[in-house]
Amino acid sequence: MSARSTMSIHHRQARAAWMFLAPGLLLLTIFTAWPLLRTVYLSLTDYNLLTPPEWVGLDNYRELLADPQVMNAFGNTLLYAVVVTPVTIGLAMLFALALNERFFARTLVRTAVFVPFVVSLAVISIAFRFLLDPNYGLVTHWLSAIGLAPQQGALAQPHTAMAAVMLVGVWKNVGFYMVMFLAGLQSIPRELYEAAQLDGTSRLQRFRAVTLPLLSNQTMLVSILAATASFQVFDQIKVMTNGGPAMSTETLVVLVNRVGINNLEFGYGSAVSVILLVLILILSLAQYLYFGRRQVRY
Amino acid sequence: MSRTTRATGAAVVALALAVGTAACGDGGGSTDGPVTLTFWHGLTGPDGPAFQQVVDEFNDSQDEITIETEVLPWDSLYQQFLTAATSDDGPDIVAMSGSRLAQYAEQGVLAPTDDFYADTTYMDTSVLADGAVQASMYDGVNYGVPLNLGPVLLYWNKALFAEAGLDPEAPPTTWEEFEGMLPALTVDENGDGSPEQYPLAVGDHSTVPVFPTFLWNGGGGVVSDDGTSSMLGDPATVDAAQYWVDLVREDRITPVGMSGADADQLFQSQLAALTLNGPWLTTGLTEAGLDYGVTRPFAGPDGDDILGDVVSMTISQRLDEAETDAAFTFFAYWESVESQTTWANETGFPAVRTDMPDGAVTNEWAAIFGAPEILDSVRPYLTGVPSSGEINDDIFTPALQSALNGTGEVADLFPPAGEQVQAILDDAS
Repeated sequence: MSARSTMSIHHRQARAAWMFLAPGLLLLTIFTAWPLLRTVYLSLTDYNLLTPPEWVGLDNYRELLADPQVMNAFGNTLLYAVVVTPVTIGLAMLFALALNERFFARTLVRTAVFVPFVVSLAVISIAFRFLLDPNYGLVTHWLSAIGLAPQQGALAQPHTAMAAVMLVGVWKNVGFYMVMFLAGLQSIPRELYEAAQLDGTSRLQRFRAVTLPLLSNQTMLVSILAATASFQVFDQIKVMTNGGPAMSTETLVVLVNRVGINNLEFGYGSAVSVILLVLILILSLAQYLYFGRRQVRY
Repeated sequence: MSRTTRATGAAVVALALAVGTAACGDGGGSTDGPVTLTFWHGLTGPDGPAFQQVVDEFNDSQDEITIETEVLPWDSLYQQFLTAATSDDGPDIVAMSGSRLAQYAEQGVLAPTDDFYADTTYMDTSVLADGAVQASMYDGVNYGVPLNLGPVLLYWNKALFAEAGLDPEAPPTTWEEFEGMLPALTVDENGDGSPEQYPLAVGDHSTVPVFPTFLWNGGGGVVSDDGTSSMLGDPATVDAAQYWVDLVREDRITPVGMSGADADQLFQSQLAALTLNGPWLTTGLTEAGLDYGVTRPFAGPDGDDILGDVVSMTISQRLDEAETDAAFTFFAYWESVESQTTWANETGFPAVRTDMPDGAVTNEWAAIFGAPEILDSVRPYLTGVPSSGEINDDIFTPALQSALNGTGEVADLFPPAGEQVQAILDDAS
């Protein structure tokens, strides 16, 4: 085949590839790249949506570094992520391991664990708000029955409100991550377990030597997704506590919503968003590098 | 020029003329054509149909002006108005709370309504409740005309009063009397410190701002009436706040951390004997068959001011002369005796007029909420302050919630919160 015709084939293939990519790239450009660039630009302005943006350089960033409300929201976000991410991943793996075994009504249990993921988070949050209501909540009633009646609702106390929104965050997502782990577990060849069993290994040893290393791809993906979701937590907090009481559950995204929509400080809100973006980017890269080094293939 | 070209040119000119004529006719402009105005409001409750009834009557009463209403929940209305205000597709008239109005007036998206009040071209505006008219003032200019006025009064459950051995027709009239009734109105059957029945149901967030009225009547406040000085750090404010925080924390007069909706539900479920709220609550309570009364809130040692929640009708700054005239014509119709009679009798809201003829208002709640001695004591909260939302939601409410939850002391929380409020006020000026 001549060089000319080879190039022509490459050219045609490249053109076809771009045509296939074009719709996706167009959507990415319109709904991801452009808003991202626009957010970065707005973070350098004083903008209230009603009048044109006014360039202020890095003023918003200087202000937010000294803003106690941003520090409070950052602390709350970190607390939420540090607790919810490992708990969700751990529970999802436990459920996956348990539900990978054969037992009666396994499909029903799998569905029950997964269902919260497909229900609207706003609906779940409203339901939990009722369940935790101090006067007519079912959970409150159960707690009363065992002598643990809260003096006031869990969502009304700063030290319990965060725990309540964390609970909803875990409950909502654990089923989704469980399905990912289940898919990973089912792709592990049976002969590896049989070989390990012939070597006289215990269940725990097989889990550590076979299951865990071969789930590293899923674990990396789930970790990145769970950590990102934790840092972006918004819906259930907005519905259940709106950041209260006394801003004890206000996370960075809730803060962005408040300063942007309520106070019309879109420039400042954009600056907080950019900081959050950088945080998530660093965290995702760190996770990628960490799990990349531990990837195992047999 | 060919025949085809000339014909095309003529068609373009004709089309341009037609479009131009249509544009003038639609928008009012310099010609005297019918004017259609869009009106956004958030009257999603039982008050919505009553408002629409008056709008329909106005539209049917003449051919020159048509009001097209669009109802949105208040939160959505404020959010959507943000983007709509800068476009030509936005509403011509928007109803908004007096406490939100200054924020938009400051940005120049609202037009003044001073001409409506200037003379009697549209109506004699001196008959309108002064507190309602003042609620739309910002920086010496009026930007609205009152749509409704909702004084926040004391609701009491007569059946629970009787069960407690109290006179069901004698609600507390002072803080002292209220304090004296606490043992009778608190029911904690199992003694776990979490009462099954509370004396009072008051929300501390997402509600009409009741706690600021406690500060007023204790001699303090959040911001001075002229909107220039923070009062949160004043000794009188701290003392009044401490008094109510002690009642909540030590006497458990109300659950902590309730929203306005939670407080309404607690009272409606007969788990609280008293609550403070506006006239919008009467419809639900009456439908629920509650045996209740409504009266002036208990007075504090330094005052008996009543919170007045005012919704004003505002006009977009892009309205031309004819459209503004049409909007003012509708406003005058809304404030007429006939319209206010419909409004008051259908909703329980008081009439905004102070000269309603005897016998016109037959709704008992509207008569109570609209009594002259009530309207004379009405005081708006944070009106004319552009950063009112930030001051109330981001500074005052968190400080109050910290105190109510016992995570801090009033004396430690309120003065620094006051400094933050002052910084915002200084920035705005």
